[in-house]
Amino acid sequence: MNKQDVLKLSSMPLQSPTYPTGPYKFFNRQYMIIQYRSDPAMIRKLLPEPLLPDGDVVSVQWLDLPDGEGFGAYSAAVQTIPCTLNGEKCNFLVQMYVDNCPPLAGGREIWGYPMKYGQPKLVTASDTLTGELVYAGQKVASGTMVYKHSSPDDLAEIAAMLKRTQVTLKLIPDIDGTPAIAQLVGINFDKVVVKGAWTGRARLELTNAVNCPMADLPVLEQMGGLHIVTDMTLPYGKVLHDYLA
Amino acid sequence: MTPEEILKLPSMPAVAPSYPLGPYRFINREFMIITYETDPVLLRAAVPEPLVPNADNHVLYEWIRMPDSSGFGDYTESGIVIPCTFNGEPINYTAQMYLDDQPPIDGGREIWGFPKKYALPKLEVASDTLTGTLSYAGQSVAMGTMAYKWQEAPGGCEAQAKGMTKTSCNLKIIPDVDGSPKICQLVAYNLENITVKGVWVSPARLQLIPHVNAPVADLPILRIVGGKHFVSDLTLPHGRVLFDYLKDA
Repeated sequence: MNKQDVLKLSSMPLQSPTYPTGPYKFFNRQYMIIQYRSDPAMIRKLLPEPLLPDGDVVSVQWLDLPDGEGFGAYSAAVQTIPCTLNGEKCNFLVQMYVDNCPPLAGGREIWGYPMKYGQPKLVTASDTLTGELVYAGQKVASGTMVYKHSSPDDLAEIAAMLKRTQVTLKLIPDIDGTPAIAQLVGINFDKVVVKGAWTGRARLELTNAVNCPMADLPVLEQMGGLHIVTDMTLPYGKVLHDYLA
Repeated sequence: MTPEEILKLPSMPAVAPSYPLGPYRFINREFMIITYETDPVLLRAAVPEPLVPNADNHVLYEWIRMPDSSGFGDYTESGIVIPCTFNGEPINYTAQMYLDDQPPIDGGREIWGFPKKYALPKLEVASDTLTGTLSYAGQSVAMGTMAYKWQEAPGGCEAQAKGMTKTSCNLKIIPDVDGSPKICQLVAYNLENITVKGVWVSPARLQLIPHVNAPVADLPILRIVGGKHFVSDLTLPHGRVLFDYLKDA
């Protein structure tokens, strides 16, 4: 393969790139978002400067992604902390677990999504919307929410919430082991269509595990759940802060 | 988390990095390598310039068992290596790799540009046969078989250890957050502190099945050259940039 064609490759390996170029459309993307009050000192510790905490209500989210362009069908579990950057409200993604390598590799390499391989699952089990996360054979998180009990009046508010800037800490080493990329990256979902949204009671249980430490942000008070079905587009992101500059 | 703490992190996520800083030590790393001859035109297309594929059109199809790897744990790998030259010097180019453990996939891609994807490779002794299999997204895509410890390789462990110091390289591609290429390099590394505990050559066979996302069969088998089986301890250190496509292409 000639050098100019090498520069056009979307990803490794040359013979079958792991993911294509974006943006990436998602269809029938389903969320269960469980909010809870956690420890302000741990929140401060896990937020990279210059992000500032915005309250002490964090979330664990389960996602079912049955139809993602380039990526296929998979599931994810995410922990987020609300924060501000230069006064703008955003959500910092602390850790993410997915069961599919292409979105995992692409997520890390393009946007710096803090993804590791785990086995998240979001299912409707009789009357309960149920999320589970298994890491290296151990169950480390489970969430439950009442099924479609009440719907918010204003779906535009839900769309606005989904469009709130996501912030990731993208770290890519250089071949000599020094950092090649160390940035805060901002991502804004595009073309968000909310097909349904429900609120209701929810419970969350987190188990201590060293390589999947969601329990490092302890559950101090259960705050309730949000269940959303949406179509949306994941575009490229922008650099918000460069630690190497 | 302060900027100083952030710049000391080995990898994402900050709360539980996927892999630590290297070097990485492997104990009892077991290889089965089946060498075959392929089509020269397809081989040329699979190798990025300025690398030049070997004149014999040889391809190395590998299975590797890694039961004890610092930072990465216990996993198995399968893939394709193409002997090449870079500025006339012999070098091994890694074309495809499939693993069953995400931290070495992420670390491999992000540090050295190993072209790794998730799949289910297996290397085992099945009665009298050293057997490698590879399953990708539920489908079987490769099977290699070798007669078990048929004959010690000429030169023994010493010659094998020396051969393993040969430079290897990968095409490392990392996009920028806007989708443009951020890193596009040929990167090289050399294994260190190699101890070979046994090395054998035997008759071998290889079957490759076409699959779009694990295209191991894209380099067709014209002739099997032979199989090699060895067990070693070794260290994988960081590497160096050989060629930068963003500066030199």
